[in-house]
Amino acid sequence: MGYDFELQDRMSVVHPAHGKKNFTLAIDGRLFDARLVPTQNDGEFVLEFEGNRETVFVATRGDVHFVHFRGRAHRVEAINALERAQRAAAPSGGAETLCAPMPGVVVEVLVEEGDEVEAGQRLMTLESMKLQTPIVAPHDARVAELCLQAGSSFDQGAVLVRLEARDEAEGEAE
Amino acid sequence: MTLVPGIEKVLIANRGEIVVRVASTLRRLEIASAAIVHPEEADSPAARAVDETCPIDGETPVAAYLDAERIVEIALRIGADAVHPGYGFLSENADFAEAVERAGIRWIGPTPASIRLMGDKIESRRFVANLGYPLTPSANEEDAPSDFAERAQAIGFPLLIKPSAGGGGKGMQIVRAEDELAPAIELARSEAERYFKDGRIFAERYIDEPRHIEVQILADTHGHVLHLGERDCSIQRRFQKLIEETPAPGMERELRDRICAQAVGIARAAGYQSAGTVEFILTPKGEFYFLEMNTRLQVEHPITEMVTGIDLVEEQIRIAAGEVLSFVQEEIRFEGAAIECRICAEDPDHDFRPAVGPLLLVRPADGLGVRFDSGIEAGQTVSTAFDPMLAKVIVHGRDRNEAIRRARDALERTVILGCVTNCDFLGRILAHPEFKAGSVDTGFIPTHAADLARPSMSLEERAALLAVAALSNRDFLERVEAVPEPYASIGAWQN
Repeated sequence: MGYDFELQDRMSVVHPAHGKKNFTLAIDGRLFDARLVPTQNDGEFVLEFEGNRETVFVATRGDVHFVHFRGRAHRVEAINALERAQRAAAPSGGAETLCAPMPGVVVEVLVEEGDEVEAGQRLMTLESMKLQTPIVAPHDARVAELCLQAGSSFDQGAVLVRLEARDEAEGEAE
Repeated sequence: MTLVPGIEKVLIANRGEIVVRVASTLRRLEIASAAIVHPEEADSPAARAVDETCPIDGETPVAAYLDAERIVEIALRIGADAVHPGYGFLSENADFAEAVERAGIRWIGPTPASIRLMGDKIESRRFVANLGYPLTPSANEEDAPSDFAERAQAIGFPLLIKPSAGGGGKGMQIVRAEDELAPAIELARSEAERYFKDGRIFAERYIDEPRHIEVQILADTHGHVLHLGERDCSIQRRFQKLIEETPAPGMERELRDRICAQAVGIARAAGYQSAGTVEFILTPKGEFYFLEMNTRLQVEHPITEMVTGIDLVEEQIRIAAGEVLSFVQEEIRFEGAAIECRICAEDPDHDFRPAVGPLLLVRPADGLGVRFDSGIEAGQTVSTAFDPMLAKVIVHGRDRNEAIRRARDALERTVILGCVTNCDFLGRILAHPEFKAGSVDTGFIPTHAADLARPSMSLEERAALLAVAALSNRDFLERVEAVPEPYASIGAWQN
């Protein structure tokens, strides 16, 4: 019954340390004694960890925890088991929906609906905060739908392009 | 009657931190303040910092703050005596300045003619060259478009292609070899067209790893032109300043005097009035060249305020009211050292990608010699609609070492949660031995990229962070609570 957390691009498993005297958590298999005690200030806590007491600031949005600890801000994300399973089972080489990694504006669209594209081929260019980001095909596919035009602005998570499997589409066409 | 006769009410035509900054001076001068506010920012520190808010809408939030016609209408309607443009947006738009003045309202800034002369890169370079000051070798496309490529090549590589109407590093291309020249010209022209609606470009010699030195100018309407010392703004990323300091570390008195004198000479010759900044590049050999002039208040103006004790916004307002500068050059004292760090919503550990998200917790650093200028607060959402700069941490110390220590400490005590920022990255720059040694140039960040990478975390630190996250995670705690006694006593720490 572990719980997965991602910190600095690496995963760790945290378990409640049931029945272990003086320990509250098992982190990647090691036992720790940890308590998080609120203070009267919003977002400010005292972390009691391995016999030390330190001030930390914590703010949570859904499964993302932002923690200010020893002068640095960190982002820790809880990855629930279902989501992990979905990620693992994501189709490869077939139908896929590409979403915007961040809000911005479409600078250019380089393909047309129905085009066959190869893995790594640039489909469009986005711009957010003066920074251009290419959107590339994750695998060989056919462009099923272009959801935005050059000049359109969008929010994070907006659907940019729908891809479909090349083989299926070819089969239908023939 | 306010403390500045003739000015009863000022409209601030801007948003975010600079509205808060300008409003604080207006309050001290007992001048009523107003600001234009886009609906998205109706509940923001900027909106609350002023006595009166004036809603303004547009196709995009940025377009609202660029709507010159509406802003002049608003200024007239609310009876403002003067308009403060802040920085960015319309601050260097001569047509806007002119429209404000035509409406019988004072413009807190230089004359439209000065903005036209010094705000255009090609015009201002020509003007400075005619004064006999050195410039980097350059070529203008519009002088003779047909042989622009040849003339650019004659400058020698590496060279820089820049939009004439540009700023903020947009559309600039570095060309290191002949075969890169033609595509770079094409790209620069299209970007200049896209960003500035003005496709004019020029080429200039690119100086590898120079220092960026700028001089703060104050000039009144009675012919007095003073400098308030220099700022070193060499710590940049993609031509965007990240850390600025004054005085410039290691600069000899003689060189400082020459640069400041030249800046004053340029401003005087241009008939400049108000606060302004003359920017130079300084080569490793100690040669310096005029780069451009910013005809407005700069983002980094607070470090100059810290060491001189002079409120630049107050001076701008007094100059606009026609007052004579109340001090002469010799009376300006420069005490200690000051550093500004720009906190931006970007992720330095993932290629500086822009960060967005709701700000969940904001706790500014405070303490002796620390100033925190920002327009953000918890509850606001950082979006890509505006500039990524969230706040400025400005510190003052008796000397540079003390300023560096205070800046590092202030950055560590600045809590901004909910959106990734470059706060820690700024601290890594300040902690770098080469920075401490004053060995800075505009190539600092790429040169020291490996040293500036995120330091590895100890196992103990990692475990503590994971513990905090787990003990803050609702699902995790619910799962723990669901465990039958005696284990459920673990729930005691769930707060």
